Amino acid sequence: MSDALRQTPELVTLTVNGSVHQVQLDSRTTLLDALRDHLELSGTKKGCDQGACGACTVLLDGKRIVSCLVLAAQCEGREVTTVEGVTVDGRPHAVQEAFCRHDALQCGYCTPGQVMSAISLLAEGRAGSDDEIREFMSGNLCRCGAYPNIVAAIREVAGQEATSR
Amino acid sequence: MTALDRVDAPLKVSGSAPYPSDFTLPDQVHAVLVQSTVAAGRISAIDTTAALAAPGVLAVITHENAPPLADLPMTPLGAPPRFPFKDDRIIHCGQHVAVVVAGTHEQAASAARLVQVSYETAKPVLDLDDPRAEVVDNGWGMEVDVGDAEAALSSAEITYEETFDIAPEANNPLGLFTTLASWDSDRLTVHDCSQWPIMTRQALATAFGLPESDVRVLVPYLGGGFGAGLRAWSHTLLAALAARVVGRPVKLVLTRPQMFTSVGHRARSRQRLRLGMTGAGRLVAIDQESTAALGAEEDNFSAVVLGTPHAYDCPNVATHDRQVRLNIPNPGFMRAPGHAEGNFALESALDELSYRVGIDPVELRLRNFAEVHPQSGLPWSSNALRECLQVGAERFGWRDRSPVPRSTRDGNWLVGYGMAGVTFGWYAAPCRARLSILASGTAVLKAAATDIGTGTYTIAAQQVAELLGLRVDQVRVEIGDSDLPPAPQSGGSGLAVALTGAIQVAAANLLRALLDEVAADARSPLRGRRLDEVTASDGRLHLIDDPAVGEKYADVLARHGLDELTADGELDLAAAAADAGVAPAGAFAARFAEVRVDEDLGLLRVTRLLSVVDGGRILNEKTARSQIIGGTVMGIGMAMFEEVAFDHATGRVANATFGDYLIPVNADVPDLDVVFVGGPDAFSPTGVKGLGEVGVVGVPAAIANAVYHATGRRIRSLPITIDQLM
Repeated sequence: MSDALRQTPELVTLTVNGSVHQVQLDSRTTLLDALRDHLELSGTKKGCDQGACGACTVLLDGKRIVSCLVLAAQCEGREVTTVEGVTVDGRPHAVQEAFCRHDALQCGYCTPGQVMSAISLLAEGRAGSDDEIREFMSGNLCRCGAYPNIVAAIREVAGQEATSR
Repeated sequence: MTALDRVDAPLKVSGSAPYPSDFTLPDQVHAVLVQSTVAAGRISAIDTTAALAAPGVLAVITHENAPPLADLPMTPLGAPPRFPFKDDRIIHCGQHVAVVVAGTHEQAASAARLVQVSYETAKPVLDLDDPRAEVVDNGWGMEVDVGDAEAALSSAEITYEETFDIAPEANNPLGLFTTLASWDSDRLTVHDCSQWPIMTRQALATAFGLPESDVRVLVPYLGGGFGAGLRAWSHTLLAALAARVVGRPVKLVLTRPQMFTSVGHRARSRQRLRLGMTGAGRLVAIDQESTAALGAEEDNFSAVVLGTPHAYDCPNVATHDRQVRLNIPNPGFMRAPGHAEGNFALESALDELSYRVGIDPVELRLRNFAEVHPQSGLPWSSNALRECLQVGAERFGWRDRSPVPRSTRDGNWLVGYGMAGVTFGWYAAPCRARLSILASGTAVLKAAATDIGTGTYTIAAQQVAELLGLRVDQVRVEIGDSDLPPAPQSGGSGLAVALTGAIQVAAANLLRALLDEVAADARSPLRGRRLDEVTASDGRLHLIDDPAVGEKYADVLARHGLDELTADGELDLAAAAADAGVAPAGAFAARFAEVRVDEDLGLLRVTRLLSVVDGGRILNEKTARSQIIGGTVMGIGMAMFEEVAFDHATGRVANATFGDYLIPVNADVPDLDVVFVGGPDAFSPTGVKGLGEVGVVGVPAAIANAVYHATGRRIRSLPITIDQLM
């Protein structure tokens, strides 16, 4: 049997949005497919499966990553945060609210990835200017072309955070 | 003009809007496609033994064992693509040749690599100029021939002739096209990435020999389409076929590379444009000929030169649309087909002529403004192109520029301004909408329309709320389901006009039905009243003259023991247009661009882009603006980045990933200024005009014209690349 066919079922323990899940996975399963196909967390989207579009962005130990380029088995003992896990006391995250207000989305498919990337960008302190936001949001493609509104939404949240500091 | 937040935004920002790939059915299995690695020839052998023996594999379907399907029907947008499992012939690279079905996606993907396909290859026809290629003339019958363009060209004071090239582009919606098909005995349900559920239902019903009532197509949300979802692609049929073969629900998700070859693209085109002009800058002749690529065995005639004939006042106009059959994946429709391409040539040429005749580019367009529709001679139902140009010039600071090319510098950057006029087309298709008032006093709208990101949910809810006097949150919009009343595609910039018009008819019918209900009701203050005496607000119907006389919907329904009251509305604007006495107009626009070019490095940056748009009545300023900025971003891609690179020898797509096929990213897009001008359209019942596509049109010409102003280099091929700037 060729290497391509060698599948080892593995029991993987994943901590996602604070909940611990034990799942039996084909060892080739990416974090993205584990979230979508095994944990019923379909908010994280697959846009290319090649790490090039950012639609599958999640936080791994608080840092943004593309979940299609990480195997689920590599995430044991680490904290995964998806778009389903960013609400605060049942209320939408400030970034989510700003995206709605600024119409920073159209078809909405890239939006969960944009939201996760924006949350991370703010934490990284990369929202100091519009140009900086544009540069550090450029790993998240939006084919509908909502970019100016995405920048406006992030700019607003960055401004609120600066004021409340 | 309100600026309501998109009603589905909370679902989308939280990841809870369900796209076709997000659905999972009990007992579901997975399909993966195997695609041809050659562009022409036939399959000499296909060995599925190893794949069938791989873990979890349930079936491998090829042309050798596929149950036969009936040919697909024609659609209002043209012929369907060829179904590839009919025989052993290969007509393009990336043609589906096998479907592997397995218990998990991983199993299906790895088994797909074990399918051994042998080909008897032929030399593919890949070049527009290949003498072997079959040429189709005027495939859509949309060529225009008014006056005598040849004679006018030969006698014109000033003549112009140039050639324009536009690279093929891939729609590339972010959502990977997915079909999840399931059979319940002889009833078929598919979740599918369709912009046109009614068309997809008809295709599936025909293919499988079912009544349309036994096929249901669901697409509550679509991860973008841009025209890719307007045809019955074979992966949809193959998923349904696979589900029938294995007797379980089958999910098939295209990969990103497969998206380049499976769901259409904007065909490569070349245009020869000849213009005749007076010394005073009046157009006397236009002759625009396009040659575009077409699939080897299909008849999807997506025209290239659609907007030119009615763009300006010119007595002698001829257009020619030729298609050349090549061994390439089927082209299809990509946002603003026929307008984005034709406009690039025409508006670039006018810019060139503006320098030759010494007339400002804005003024040159104003001089050629078409007061009436140039072919029919009828008055426009609306046309604010003049205002678009004037408002745009003022707002952009156009007059402040030094008109001389290469005259403006900022450090290493050469700075240029460019502009383009835009006249979009008008399109309408019949639409039906069903409107209900429920016992709670809230309303439900049902139509088999789709929201592909355009804002259909939002503007439909706003329209219902306004007509029935409800709050938007009291209106539920149900779309994206072929079981609902038939609506046209999201495509052609016709849905907003058709759907809001049908809603208006349905609302009138519904209120009439309500008045009929209380006609003999002694307890109703509205007893015996006519529709023209009443209006609705705050969830109640009341007299226009005396708002105190009226009652709540909920009270009427409760007193009459009704769970709901329902009425349909139907609108066929294309039929109504025939004797309307006006020329129905699409959108108009003017685009103004500022670019910066660093010639040492070949860098091109767009630093400002203004769009002034006449979109008729704007229902929602937020979603309307989003349509324009989104189209503009796609126009920036067309101008500066996008090109599907077909390998000249093999016909393979050499750049079928987002790493290699460049689309604009956030850092490529400046703040985009959008202004709406004009007023309600006189022919559209709701005053609305379509805005879904006009945003693309004119952007490439405005950018190319700005590049000329910056550098003195006239670029007539898209995308504009580094080598053209250095």
